Amino acid sequence: MLELLRKYRIYIIVGVVLLAAFVFYSLNLKNKERANAFERGVMDLMAPLYGVADRMNGGVSGIWADYLDLLEVRQENKQLRESVKVLNTRLLEAGEAVAANERLKRLLELKSSLRAPAVAASVIGEDGSPWFKTIVIDRGAADGLREGLPVVASDGVVGQLVKVAAGSSRVLLLTDHASGVAGIVQRSRARGVVKGKGGGRCSLDFTLREEDVKVGDIVVTSGIGGVFPKGLPLGEVTMVKKGEYGIFQTVEVRPKVNITRLEEVLVILQEQLYD
Amino acid sequence: MTKFLKTIMVVYAALLVQVTVLPAYIADPFKPNFLILIVACLGLRGGGWHGALSAFLLGLVADCFSGIYLGLSAFSFLAIYLVLRRVAVSLYTDSLYLMVLVVFTATLGNGLIHLLLLLIFAVADGVYATLLAGLLPQALINALAASLLFGIPSLGAREEAR
Repeated sequence: MLELLRKYRIYIIVGVVLLAAFVFYSLNLKNKERANAFERGVMDLMAPLYGVADRMNGGVSGIWADYLDLLEVRQENKQLRESVKVLNTRLLEAGEAVAANERLKRLLELKSSLRAPAVAASVIGEDGSPWFKTIVIDRGAADGLREGLPVVASDGVVGQLVKVAAGSSRVLLLTDHASGVAGIVQRSRARGVVKGKGGGRCSLDFTLREEDVKVGDIVVTSGIGGVFPKGLPLGEVTMVKKGEYGIFQTVEVRPKVNITRLEEVLVILQEQLYD
Repeated sequence: MTKFLKTIMVVYAALLVQVTVLPAYIADPFKPNFLILIVACLGLRGGGWHGALSAFLLGLVADCFSGIYLGLSAFSFLAIYLVLRRVAVSLYTDSLYLMVLVVFTATLGNGLIHLLLLLIFAVADGVYATLLAGLLPQALINALAASLLFGIPSLGAREEAR
């Protein structure tokens, strides 16, 4: 018997253990809704650890979620940056369009105030030399232009066409030394010739000493000479100097048109027809 | 033929930059005149009747893009070219410093020839004031442009020599 027990010792122990476990299980079945001392003990022991594990789990999950979010944010950031670039470009284009619209509106107003037909042109180049003042426009003989025609902008006189090719023309600016336009002081009707002085300046020459000219007076075209229509703004008087001798006074005029910011101009096709 | 086409391209690009791009960013006396640089280069390193013809044609092209007096720059460029050809034989023409000096002097000479011809033949009172005021800045800026444009290839050549 003892021999038999020794031989099947392992199986017997396993069977006993299983039986004990079964008995333990069956004894606890009737109190399955209530925690016994063992359960309570384990639960009490584990409760703080649960919290720590939960917090750790939360932390890890948070880090992972943050990492995933970061990846998305990076992607989103890239997209947003691209969008900002596109929107900025559109904003600039819109600003440019608004400015062009304003300029063209003013040019159109001027065009409608002229009786003569006029051709709008864009400035496409400037003079290659610092001591001459000419610009190149994108209209030429093919558009009906010819030498001598007056060129104006919304603010006033720009100059006169001097060299006309088929698709482009040169404009001699009011400020060039070779330029001269008959002018008249709007307030006092004093006459003179507005001549270019280079460097964005002009002078009203041949105005008699006794004529009434004051700083701030507006000089307009007199229409004499038949090139420019009468009444177009030429510039504003910035300095008047009357010497002790001589029959003329020295009058400096600042052109009404800002030559350096000129982008569009009107070429008047017929003279002496200003409204 | 390739060299000729290359030269035409260079002149065309220089003109385009000078009359369209630079005016948008640089105020008037400080715009470099690239054609003078080309004439100076022709005068020092070119030669023969075709060099003189090129200088004259360059001047005519410059006149088409500047002022109203056709032939003014043509005359001055030709004169500058001929003077440079005269002195080039006794100079070390590969020197960058000489090129810068020549461009500076050629710009001054060009301005003075313009001034003289305008005063004698044109009705442009007071042009001397504008011209003289802008002449020195123009000469300096051209010299600077020459030092940059001609300096870069020479640096490359030096690197190759090493």
